[in-house]
Amino acid sequence: MALTSLMTQIETPKPRTGDALLRAQNVHRILGSGETANVILKGVDLAIARNEYLSIVGASGSGKSTLLYLLGGLDRPTRDNLQGEPYTPSSRIFIDNQDTWLLNDAELAMLRNRKVGFVFQFHYLLKEFTAQENVALPMLKLAKWPRDEAMDRSAALLKQLGLADKLRRRANRLSGGEQQRVAIARALANEPDVLLADEPTGNLDKRNSDLVADIFNQLAAAGQSIVMVTHDQTLAHRANRLVGMEDGNVISDEMLRQPAGG
Amino acid sequence: MREITPSDALTSTMRWFISIRYFLSHKRQSLVCIAGVTISVMMFITMSAMMDGFTDKFIIETVESTGHITIHDEPRERETRILQRVYADPNALLVVEGVKPRDKVEKIKNPSGLLATLRRMRGITGVAPMVTGDAIATYGTKTLNLSIMGVEPSQQVAVTTIGDKMIEGDFSRLKTTADGLIIGRGVSDILGAKIGDSVTLSSSTGGHASAKVVGIFATGVTPVDYARAYMLLNDAQTLLDRKNIVNEIVLRTDDYTRAEAYAAQIEAICGYRTESWQESNANFLKIFRIQTIITYFITGALLVVAAFGVLNILIMAVLERVNDIAILKSFGLSRNDITLIYVFQGLVIGLIGSLLGVGLGKLAIEGLRRLPIQMEGLVKVEGLLMSEHLSSYVTAFVASMLVVLLAAVYPARRAARYDPVEVIRGAH
Repeated sequence: MALTSLMTQIETPKPRTGDALLRAQNVHRILGSGETANVILKGVDLAIARNEYLSIVGASGSGKSTLLYLLGGLDRPTRDNLQGEPYTPSSRIFIDNQDTWLLNDAELAMLRNRKVGFVFQFHYLLKEFTAQENVALPMLKLAKWPRDEAMDRSAALLKQLGLADKLRRRANRLSGGEQQRVAIARALANEPDVLLADEPTGNLDKRNSDLVADIFNQLAAAGQSIVMVTHDQTLAHRANRLVGMEDGNVISDEMLRQPAGG
Repeated sequence: MREITPSDALTSTMRWFISIRYFLSHKRQSLVCIAGVTISVMMFITMSAMMDGFTDKFIIETVESTGHITIHDEPRERETRILQRVYADPNALLVVEGVKPRDKVEKIKNPSGLLATLRRMRGITGVAPMVTGDAIATYGTKTLNLSIMGVEPSQQVAVTTIGDKMIEGDFSRLKTTADGLIIGRGVSDILGAKIGDSVTLSSSTGGHASAKVVGIFATGVTPVDYARAYMLLNDAQTLLDRKNIVNEIVLRTDDYTRAEAYAAQIEAICGYRTESWQESNANFLKIFRIQTIITYFITGALLVVAAFGVLNILIMAVLERVNDIAILKSFGLSRNDITLIYVFQGLVIGLIGSLLGVGLGKLAIEGLRRLPIQMEGLVKVEGLLMSEHLSSYVTAFVASMLVVLLAAVYPARRAARYDPVEVIRGAH
């Protein structure tokens, strides 16, 4: 697959700057309240630059998926501790320097639409729609391209991911690997600043896992920022940077290699 | 106000795109919902047309055959009676014994002067003097109580449509035939009297007359056709022993719906009890109002059932698509977008159901109108009376759209409230 050419075609390579694309500042996340409160994140600080390909690893319950959702603006950090006092420094997430706490739901949704692409363990494709339509939906929401152009771009993305013959196939009639590739295409549809992947190979066999891993590598090589949560150490080590988490804290942060364009 | 941009339109297109696809994915349930809305709208339109048809027929026939306003020879009680004035307590029981009824002939004083005054009034298009009373008609062995109307034919046809309701003979023949009598079709049927037959009339005051049937009318209003007979004013005055007396004046106005206002105005001028057709038929009008309420109640209940169907299918649709909602939110759809996707589904069901209901309602009205049914109750009709009003169609359409949209709001808001993170965590 020549994803590099696709990325060149659909996205002007972003210059790497010193500014963090995503930044977690003393991030806490508590689910529930009172005696049933479950502290998931306990003051995470993390900055992710543009063009970085970063893996987050850790045991189940370490808080890595929660951190990913927070970094993508799908959730908001908890601001006050269990005693009701605000954390110092304040618990915040910045996406491209925008504090997610200062945005209302609609603004945060728009920010996700423009800046972030999510890939989950389960593909979550809309089964009533074709592969092409599934990929086009975020573009229709962004409304940057007319409908026909969005469909053409969707077709181009799917072709680059090896699904040229599956464009008009209903999502529920695709294999698991194909569905996950459609989900990746959907996440890339709006040329997001960052692709956030939560166990993207967790539900795939080895062949499809390798295929997805290759796609991520090609995307990273083309300058796409990627943050991936995974249990798979082999996959995790294909990233440029490896962050380890345990019990709601970042316990390691290792640069494995220089990112593309970095 | 914010301008609508092309991107708004594209986002709206996306919402519609998703709504329609979701709607089509549950064709069977969606069709059942649509059928529910269609039936309730159709029933409302059909039942309204049926009720309105009957009401309109009764009102038009009654109003047109008896006049818009009638002045009676009774003064309206305005002053408090002497005893009540003395014993002002409204709860006091006043008993007066040995009271003799006053031997006083009720009549409208100076009728020609009053007629002239009335003719000059704005909004009054015709006035006609009458003398009325009861008489027993005998023809052969058959007898029947009749309500005798003594009229001036040329003036009477100007205030009522009785001239147009003649099925045999001509109303003007009252003037040209001595002792002429025009009877209703029901009277003719009961007595067996036809044109040219002589009927004996006896009034309660002892008057007798032999009258010749010169015409038969049929208004379609049963109480009129089965009990009324017209005579020349002079002949009726003689029969009823009311020489030169006019005890009623019938008026026609330029707008029968304003008869009540005109009647109040006239009563204030002449001092006699002046009844509009609405007052004369207050009981019937009350029944019609009750019928209308029942119609609204039944069709409203049908619509509520249909709305519950919509509510049910949309709740199911939301529960089935929790993952979809999560992913839609993850790539940027707002709560508002999700709400509108489900409200649009309700809108589609409401729109298709209501439009079909309007169309089928129209067809049902046409079909029922052609049914060969003969009915004779308060009015005599051939075929079901169906009266179409644009307002019925509009009311049914708007009410069904509102109710269905209301039913869609709850599941739509529920869908919008789903937290995508909770949904995705639940799937892990």
